[in-house]
Amino acid sequence: MSITQTQRDETGQAAGTNCWNCQAASTGAHFCVACGKIQPLPAGTDYFAFFGLLEKLSLDSTQLESEFHKLSWKLHPDNFVRASEFERDLSLNRSSELNDAYRTLREPISRVEYLLLRRGLRKEGTTKQQAPPELLEEVFELNESLDRLREARAEGGDLATLREPLDAAQSNFQEKLEEVDAELAQIGQEWDVALEAGADETKQQAMLARMNLALNRRSYIRNLVASVQKELAEAYTRLV
Amino acid sequence: MGRVAGIDLGTTFSLIAYFEPQTGVPKCIPGPYGSTLCPSVVSVDEDGKVIVGEPARALLLTKPERTIYSVKRLMGRGVADVQEELKIFPFRIDPAGRNVIRVSLGDKWFTPPEISAFILRELKSWAENYFNEPVDRAVITVPAYFNDAQRQATKDAGRIAGLEVLRLVNEPTAAALAYGLHKQKRGYVAVYDFGGGTFDISILKLVSTTEGDIYQVLSTNGDTHLGGDDIDNEMQRRTRQRILQLFQTDLANRQEDIQELRQILIAAKHALSAEDSVLLRFDPAGGKMFEELLTRTEFEKWIEPIVARTMTPVKMALADAKLTPNQIEEVVLVGGSTRIPLVRKTVGDYFGRAPHCELNPDEVVALGAAVQADILESGVKTMLLLDVTPLSLGIETMGGVVAKIIPRNSTIPASAQELFTTGVENQTGIDVHVLQGERELAKDCRSLAKFQLKVPPGPAGLARIEVKFLIDANGILQVAARDLRTNAEHTIEVQPSYGLSDAEVERMLEESIEFAEQDFSERQVIEARTEAETILAATEKTLAHPRASELAPGERRAIDDSAAQLRAAMAGSDYKLMRERIDALNQATMHLAEILMNGALQTALEGKRLEDV
Repeated sequence: MSITQTQRDETGQAAGTNCWNCQAASTGAHFCVACGKIQPLPAGTDYFAFFGLLEKLSLDSTQLESEFHKLSWKLHPDNFVRASEFERDLSLNRSSELNDAYRTLREPISRVEYLLLRRGLRKEGTTKQQAPPELLEEVFELNESLDRLREARAEGGDLATLREPLDAAQSNFQEKLEEVDAELAQIGQEWDVALEAGADETKQQAMLARMNLALNRRSYIRNLVASVQKELAEAYTRLV
Repeated sequence: MGRVAGIDLGTTFSLIAYFEPQTGVPKCIPGPYGSTLCPSVVSVDEDGKVIVGEPARALLLTKPERTIYSVKRLMGRGVADVQEELKIFPFRIDPAGRNVIRVSLGDKWFTPPEISAFILRELKSWAENYFNEPVDRAVITVPAYFNDAQRQATKDAGRIAGLEVLRLVNEPTAAALAYGLHKQKRGYVAVYDFGGGTFDISILKLVSTTEGDIYQVLSTNGDTHLGGDDIDNEMQRRTRQRILQLFQTDLANRQEDIQELRQILIAAKHALSAEDSVLLRFDPAGGKMFEELLTRTEFEKWIEPIVARTMTPVKMALADAKLTPNQIEEVVLVGGSTRIPLVRKTVGDYFGRAPHCELNPDEVVALGAAVQADILESGVKTMLLLDVTPLSLGIETMGGVVAKIIPRNSTIPASAQELFTTGVENQTGIDVHVLQGERELAKDCRSLAKFQLKVPPGPAGLARIEVKFLIDANGILQVAARDLRTNAEHTIEVQPSYGLSDAEVERMLEESIEFAEQDFSERQVIEARTEAETILAATEKTLAHPRASELAPGERRAIDDSAAQLRAAMAGSDYKLMRERIDALNQATMHLAEILMNGALQTALEGKRLEDV
């Protein structure tokens, strides 16, 4: 690990400012159109813009991947081994941004999360862990079954009979996970259409709020399924 | 600037290779013993002289207490980490060492990067003798599963050896490059790298773009403490048990016997890759000869659990790449341990296809490093390598829980920004603890560094410090901080949890020069000066000869001028210039030499009849 204390200031380099090298007024997305030099990252670039995309949620993943490869070829530090330290730094920052952007946008869920983050509906690393009200009853039952399982394990009781309700609960929640995924995809489509049609801010915010709810629900169910799977695996590996 | 090379700094053997532009293929450079393999063994004799490679390996038998092997196992680790190692390996470690291990070698203490630097210097001299030119930059390979501290230690070793490390490349990825698979293949490739001390698996995707071909690593996994050494140790354990049973002779604390038995067992392991059985013969103590037949079947029974341990990382890497074994189109084997038939069979069965092993598994990593070195050096990119970080990067949050900020298998360079603020009024510092690993709790992950962000006292939550964590193309973390309110660079002082500070590396670089042979160019300067002195003395002597007066005045002036120019060059340290002027002086004195030769001939012939000649 090494510490950079003198990283260059990237602010004030928003798109449209002059090229640091040739002073050309209009620079391209990643390289200056006039002199071809790599350009600093504008402060707060967004990942969609990095790929020259609108904030739409449906993405052609093959196209995104090929764009990623194309930009990698141009921006990678391999190209700048013999360049000035300043340019090496730009390449390091820009290619890491490229990799971060691709990693985030290629998965549909992280793509939605990122959009919500950008629009101020989520904070990084925070997900609500309250049970959605409509699931309360089922979650309560599931927790009881899990308690019985843990008890039986601790006391060496009969595990075999406890398995069925847990398996049932697991497939029930798995189904719900698929439902919420479908719901998210549906809102995503509506979002894309609205964005294209130039929907106003109020309308956009309403859709984003719906997405946020669905996403929280999804993350809650997913954690639930994962913990049931873990408990089942721990309890039954020796029986299989 | 000198040449570039690719180096495989291995647990058991190290190699150096270069890319030959005429043939377009990489080649390994042989050392003074004819082999391209330099045993990663270092010995320090009574006079403090450092011996590396083959002669050091011989000293393992006679001077085990002054000799060290498998030092790669100690790179980037702390004293507490290596307690298991110490039970098996005869390392003598300074118990007082804190975040850097110090090993006793001869009469001094050395850190693992210093010992690795001795090996690098040896390889560097192999290449310099081969090219008759200095080598000052290199691509060095590391196990894909090496963490930040292990990578940094490798980079430090390069610097201590006087090499600019252009890039650290992951060993399995280097192997894929060496095979040049992009020339005929597209699709998914698995590289199974079972070396002397480490195991790696990498899953790659080969893609063509309009610009060129890309080797994109999708996932990597491994075990930095699983290798041929473990097979040797298991053979050792079983054989020693058998010797104890037969002769009531315990080899514990008998270093010389242990080393001898170790070499016998390694030879047996190698033989069993081709033979069905091998005779173990060893004299544990005066007269009682241990003699037993070891069959391949029995050997395979011994090592089966070790080979099985490699399959867990293989399955995890495939799962991370979201692939199944039958989607893999090529399997490449790397590392000496993949010569073992059981290993080949296990891998072949799992993927359902015969693995690639055309290239020498010992050389393939160094060859790949040479290819990458050439790409970086020549600036002509024929292909691009996109590698990943093997472990998740995280920071410690409330309750000792780790928040992952860069997930494992992210393409590098990769970065993450975190905003830090104060929790209580008038807090003047924010502690940041950076970790690497997959576990949830900080105590179960690898600590990389701790640092404190200094903030002026004020209300809670007022300070806003943005910290940027960036993993570079070597897989090494860089940290930079900025105060968002003032937009000023933020000074942070980081104490790496394991490893050397820059100042320590600098000091070691200076010290290492005392130990090792002189630098190539220094050596060249000394040699050129000596030669210049010889020729100047000879010129002076011949000019004093009576027959020198036969020279034309112009010739005489030319000689004087050339000699003066050579003397001027000798004052500097440009050995190439010295050589040029030596040649010029030789040229200028040619006629003088002829005159003297003829004269000498005449003198010799005088008084002799023609038929006597």
